[in-house]
Amino acid sequence: MKVSVLQENLAKGLGIVSRAVSPRSTLPVLANVLVATDEGRLRLSATNLELGITCWIGAKIEEEGSTTVPSRTFSDLINTLPNEQIDMDLNVRSQSLHVNSATSNTDIKCIDAQEFPPMPAYELDGGMELNVSDLKEMIRQVAFAASTDEARPVLTGVLITVEDGELTMAAADGFRLSVRTADLSNGNSPSVHAVVPARALSELARIAGDGDETVTMVLPPGRGQVVFRLPDIELTSQLIEGNFPEYEQIIPNGSKTRTVVATDAFLKACKQAEIFAREGSLIARLNITPGDDMQPGAIEISAQSEETGSNETVVDATIEGDPVLIAFNVRFLREVLDVVETPNVALETTASAAPGMIRPLGEDGFLHVIMPMHLGN
Amino acid sequence: MPIQILPDEVASQIAAGEVVERPASVVKELVENSLDAGASYISITIEGAGQKLIEVADDGVGISPDQLELALSRHATSKLHNAADLQHIATLGFRGEALASIASVSRFSIVSRPKDSEAGAQLQVDGGEAGTLEPIGAPAGTVVRVEDLFYNVPARRKFLKKDATERRQIDALVTRYALAYPNVRFQLRQENRSSLQTSGNGDAREVLAALYGADIARQMLEVNADYDEVKLTGFISPTGVTRGNRREITFFVNGRWVQDYTLTAALVQAYHTMLMVGRYPVAVVFLQVDPELVDVNVHPAKSEVRFQQRDQIFSSVQRATRRALLAYTPVPTMDFNAQTRWTPAEPQTYQQRTVGPAWDMAGEASGEEQDQEETTETQTPLPRSDVPLLRLVGQVGSAYLVAEGPDGLYLIDQHAAHERVLFERFMQQLKEQVNAIPSQALLEPVTVELSSQETRLLEDQLSVMQSLGFGVEPFGPDTFILRAMPALLLGSDPMEALRVVIEDFEEDETPLQDQIEAKVIARVCKRAAVKAGQNLSQEEQRALLRDLENSKSPRTCPHGRPTMIHLSIDLLEGQFGRKGAR
Repeated sequence: MKVSVLQENLAKGLGIVSRAVSPRSTLPVLANVLVATDEGRLRLSATNLELGITCWIGAKIEEEGSTTVPSRTFSDLINTLPNEQIDMDLNVRSQSLHVNSATSNTDIKCIDAQEFPPMPAYELDGGMELNVSDLKEMIRQVAFAASTDEARPVLTGVLITVEDGELTMAAADGFRLSVRTADLSNGNSPSVHAVVPARALSELARIAGDGDETVTMVLPPGRGQVVFRLPDIELTSQLIEGNFPEYEQIIPNGSKTRTVVATDAFLKACKQAEIFAREGSLIARLNITPGDDMQPGAIEISAQSEETGSNETVVDATIEGDPVLIAFNVRFLREVLDVVETPNVALETTASAAPGMIRPLGEDGFLHVIMPMHLGN
Repeated sequence: MPIQILPDEVASQIAAGEVVERPASVVKELVENSLDAGASYISITIEGAGQKLIEVADDGVGISPDQLELALSRHATSKLHNAADLQHIATLGFRGEALASIASVSRFSIVSRPKDSEAGAQLQVDGGEAGTLEPIGAPAGTVVRVEDLFYNVPARRKFLKKDATERRQIDALVTRYALAYPNVRFQLRQENRSSLQTSGNGDAREVLAALYGADIARQMLEVNADYDEVKLTGFISPTGVTRGNRREITFFVNGRWVQDYTLTAALVQAYHTMLMVGRYPVAVVFLQVDPELVDVNVHPAKSEVRFQQRDQIFSSVQRATRRALLAYTPVPTMDFNAQTRWTPAEPQTYQQRTVGPAWDMAGEASGEEQDQEETTETQTPLPRSDVPLLRLVGQVGSAYLVAEGPDGLYLIDQHAAHERVLFERFMQQLKEQVNAIPSQALLEPVTVELSSQETRLLEDQLSVMQSLGFGVEPFGPDTFILRAMPALLLGSDPMEALRVVIEDFEEDETPLQDQIEAKVIARVCKRAAVKAGQNLSQEEQRALLRDLENSKSPRTCPHGRPTMIHLSIDLLEGQFGRKGAR
């Protein structure tokens, strides 16, 4: 293999794929990045067997070939090189990669590309297309609610369903549920029901650009995998097997009290309460009082701790329905308010022991359910 | 005093003491008789935890009226004829003592009709004194009623455990026989409610489900091995299903439930390195051994046996278990275990090896510390903490924190320290919030299937569990629904947390009600605390130190082990020879 690339492109590509490298794996080759010539471009791939990322960069190819280069060494070296052309030449017999920049000459010991797990190329026909910025927002609103506890693997994933031209993402960790739906641009996609690791989606959101690009999602039949394809990047992830909870049943039908409040003020109040709640069980009490002719309705958010002290914040709100006193894990509340994009948000509650629901005002596609906490019986 | 031969009734009461220790032993003897009689249906009715009534009815061969009186005299048996027969006992009973012994310590009645005779007969025995034989119409088989057990032996009655415990013993016993004889239909009714019912269709897994819940029964691995000296069948748990004690390891030798430590040890050894220290498998293993090679005549209760080829039996059990484990355990599960099941190194031996006698352990006064811990609950204004402000130096071996205080070096066991911190938070909440611990509702309630034994344990302590933040309610027979868990345990599996607590009930048979909360909490905290082997970030390490400083008795974990070792500056200087030898 003999190729020339621009330092800037190579550094960027390595930055993208290195997130899938598993440095502490028992399989040494997984700590490496596959570097291969591919139809006039250079392909960089890394995988930890669950998540694989491939990135193509422009290159001048003099001689076809491939090898795997230790990720850390390679990235660290390339990042220090000047932004100029880099020539790379592989000695196939010794698997030694000669990296030549304007000022330096380096030899890196590599592992034969044969040992790298095969990363099959999938047909992208029939995949569904999504706008990148929409997808990133969906992931942001859903992935945080997935569990990090490996005891129930299916809850560490995000359920992706496609039906009737509508895409839904849902995640739940046993105490809260986040659901986001969006219309698909290409109407008649095949229906999909798959659980994708939340981590893979977060990585996707990280490496996807900002602009108006489209991302294609494909589930190759019978492979237990999902592939996301961006213009020069492909991310492949294993799906999680198991039955995702039937979340539709968890979403409450209707509520007795609907509280509309400014997202920002509510979020700030929760952040304050969290400072005092974090010593204990993160419990914060919400006292929701509807207004009358004399004064507007209000939510009083309070938290206290033996160690730190106590905090109480009142936020004005428009409240329809009965007064209610309910307690939530304030971190859950803060995390969902963090991803609400609209200026106002509705909190729907029924009783102190019934689930609470958060919906951004004017954005029908997103809803979040939080189970309440309570004190004794 | 002149020497005299004891009157017959005294002699039989003494003998009864060996066979009939508690209600469960009566049930055992009677059920074994029924099994020996070739019954296909055995119904057991218990009232007053066996002290009021034990009734065992079967459809076995029955005893003909003319033999009934004989059956009740001592050393009368149909199962053995001469001493040579003892060499190859194939029946469960053989000593001919059981009925006589039971009859001597209770109000006893027996009704029996052999299949081929027209009428049955009834015989009543009251404290060993036989009444008259009366003919009576009865279904084929035998019904034995034992009422007012130990009514004439008050000393024995005094030593019986709580009713719940006795009931549990009976439950455990009958279920084990049901397992060993899946072809026999068993029915156990305790205090007018059905506690076990098997169909007798020969499916042992079905009985397993009754014993451990359907969930675990499904996961159990089958053992099936045929060696020269022994044939093994049964079920063992995969590495993911464990208990905190060896009690759920059950062995049957030729259909007889035995308690044999070597067999248990062999089985546990087969799991070596696959289970965390202090965790044991669940297993039910049946051994078929040539009756000539095993001596069951060791003790009247017959729960002990002697093997002629002990070593071979031992290694067979181990081999068969290991093979079943390796064959069935799927690789991903093992990988998972390898990552999460960390076997702790042995810090104590390490310490003994390198630490000279001069080293002073801060935790050595653990007895004193414990006293202090107990009084802490009552004296409120205690001077905060006897641990000075600590500066974190780092973590050692993913298990200990190293910190510096004004008076030297502190080594802190991260697990014990976290346990202490969690425990005090729990207790604090319990006190502060007037018996209410914040609980977090679950998005989806989980149903938990338990065995009837566990059900009874949990039912007894339901209100304690609720006040600790477990939103658990009965949900059908032997099933509970868990709607909420203590908020402090967020991040651990709710079902796992509940099971740990139930196991704790099992281990402590009679905890005092006012201590039970503290005990349960200690147990839960132990499970929820960070483990040795877990890498903590600097942030987490610092937080742990800070929390420990704020604890009321920071020097011991809730179970009394030390959380820290203090090495004073003086001591360090002495050890380095800067200040003369100490």
